[in-house]
Amino acid sequence: MSRRSQLPGAPPILVARELRKDYPMNGETVHALRGVSLEVRAGEYVAIVGPSGCGKSTLLQLLGGIDTPTSGGVTLNGAALEHLSDRDLTRLRLTKLGFVFQRFHLLPVLSAAENVELPMAEAGIDRAERRARAAELLGYVGLADRCDHRATQLSGGEMQRVALARALANRPSVILADEPTGELDAATGRGILDLFRRLSLDGVTLVVVTHDERLAAEAGRVIHMLDGHIVNDTLEAP
Amino acid sequence: MNPVRNLLRHPIRTGLAIAGIMVTTAMLLDMVLLSGGIERSFERLLLGRGFQVRVSPKGTLPFDTEATIPGARGVRAVMLSDSAVVAAGPLLGASLYARRTDTLVTLFGYGVDPVAQAIYQLDDGRDLAPADSTGVLLSQASSTLLGAGIGDTVTLVARLDPQAAVAAVERRLVVRGIVHFLYDYKGQPSVAALLPLMQDLARRRTEDRVSAFVVKIRDDASLAATTERLRAALPALEINSVGDMLAHFRERLVYFRQLSYILGTISLGVTVLLVATLMTITVNERLGEIATLRAIGVSQGSIVRGVMVEGGTLTLIGGSLGVLLGVLTAEYLDRILTAFPGLPAAISFFVPEPRSLLVAALVLVLTGILAGAYPALLAARAPIAATLRSDAT
Repeated sequence: MSRRSQLPGAPPILVARELRKDYPMNGETVHALRGVSLEVRAGEYVAIVGPSGCGKSTLLQLLGGIDTPTSGGVTLNGAALEHLSDRDLTRLRLTKLGFVFQRFHLLPVLSAAENVELPMAEAGIDRAERRARAAELLGYVGLADRCDHRATQLSGGEMQRVALARALANRPSVILADEPTGELDAATGRGILDLFRRLSLDGVTLVVVTHDERLAAEAGRVIHMLDGHIVNDTLEAP
Repeated sequence: MNPVRNLLRHPIRTGLAIAGIMVTTAMLLDMVLLSGGIERSFERLLLGRGFQVRVSPKGTLPFDTEATIPGARGVRAVMLSDSAVVAAGPLLGASLYARRTDTLVTLFGYGVDPVAQAIYQLDDGRDLAPADSTGVLLSQASSTLLGAGIGDTVTLVARLDPQAAVAAVERRLVVRGIVHFLYDYKGQPSVAALLPLMQDLARRRTEDRVSAFVVKIRDDASLAATTERLRAALPALEINSVGDMLAHFRERLVYFRQLSYILGTISLGVTVLLVATLMTITVNERLGEIATLRAIGVSQGSIVRGVMVEGGTLTLIGGSLGVLLGVLTAEYLDRILTAFPGLPAAISFFVPEPRSLLVAALVLVLTGILAGAYPALLAARAPIAATLRSDAT
């Protein structure tokens, strides 16, 4: 893991334009996003904060191409997601994006290393290279000695580290994380914060949805959301 | 996405499903074996010694009735005059008695020409010579019944007067060999002697009567034409190739086969339901996991393939165990069925044939894979974001 930050003067790699997302709930229409626009530059560490139900996770899902906006669009590395077929969008998620979820979502029947290898296998990387890269990534997240442990044999913090290693497997342009410390206690969450800081220092572009003020405080840019709007977008002092 | 590890997540559920598939596979296999088994077994029995044609009294099949063919020598000469006929063996069946100390025991006797016969296989000792008028062959059952072995003398008695219980004909014969008679039922006490001797015992000598002939044709290609020529030459007799006899047999067994197909299809249907149910439950439980896989870039095709492989693996494991169970069940049922009196012991109801087994196995595994396809498609097409949202709440 050695990437240099491209932040100063770097072009935006992830762009959201006037995103709106409505969905029906109990016979009513919920306006989850009401016209959100933002740009994320390579190497940026962006935290999206706000109260529950303000649209943070929905925004993250739209940025990651796992949901489609009611209107507006998302561009990643110049590719407009709304114009991609399901197959191309899946491929883009595989190769250009890394996801970290609140509940880790590791496959319980696989070992830590096999979980990390999974996206690489899907991308067609040969077995030897996958193994080497998985070992390198698990070493990076501090789990070199847990490679062969099943996901179910790991603690919450360890599972989230494996999930982070999995997100990094195919060298994505952007890591999207949804409440990565939400299921962890304070001490364990601290370890994840350190990892995110380290990733940022290594030049990885991070967009993190969080309630965790400590995590938000680590980010170079904090976006505040309320009722489906961005109400504040602040560059924090380095 | 290792299918075996996924199946082991719920070992009891998987075990029960495998047990279910095992039972339905065993049933399917037994139905497949049963549907064609008896016919194949009958064909092997009829062709066992290479005689492709049977000649019997008009309107009967060999040993269907007690009717006989007169003028056996003449009939045989007519058949052998056809250049395609290699051998024609006469055969006479008769009820006999044998003396055992001061009692008489009932036997079944075959009169044969040892050079052209399709009725026995030699197990021990030697065969009858063409002019051996003092020799006899015993089945294991008659050897045990009479307490006689190779080289011993036995007394055969025929035409017992029912009023006086006096034998009209009595012959002392030396046991030359122990044979097994191909068409005997289990434990049937039978003997074989030269045809003239048996005709004397059965009082069939004067008219030179036989029960049937077995005929060997030079090659199978000329079988149909030769059979037709023999029919034309001997219109008073029933002349059937083994193929003709199998066709008769098949007609008699048509309902039996249909029943086998229906039961086999039901077994297959139950397998489909079992696999589809299990895979649907499994997939529904793992919707969040599958949505995650889709989110991180795993294609719909990979998800569908994974679930289908899981269904196929389940079927393969259950099916393999089912084949074992099916073979054991078939052997057990075969032992019961072939012990029925009046049935040749050499007939099997369940005959394993590689092609049938392969077809059954392929159908089963394909069925398992396809049964997993529907739940797999449902899972792969589930909306990712909504599934993740509902999984998080």
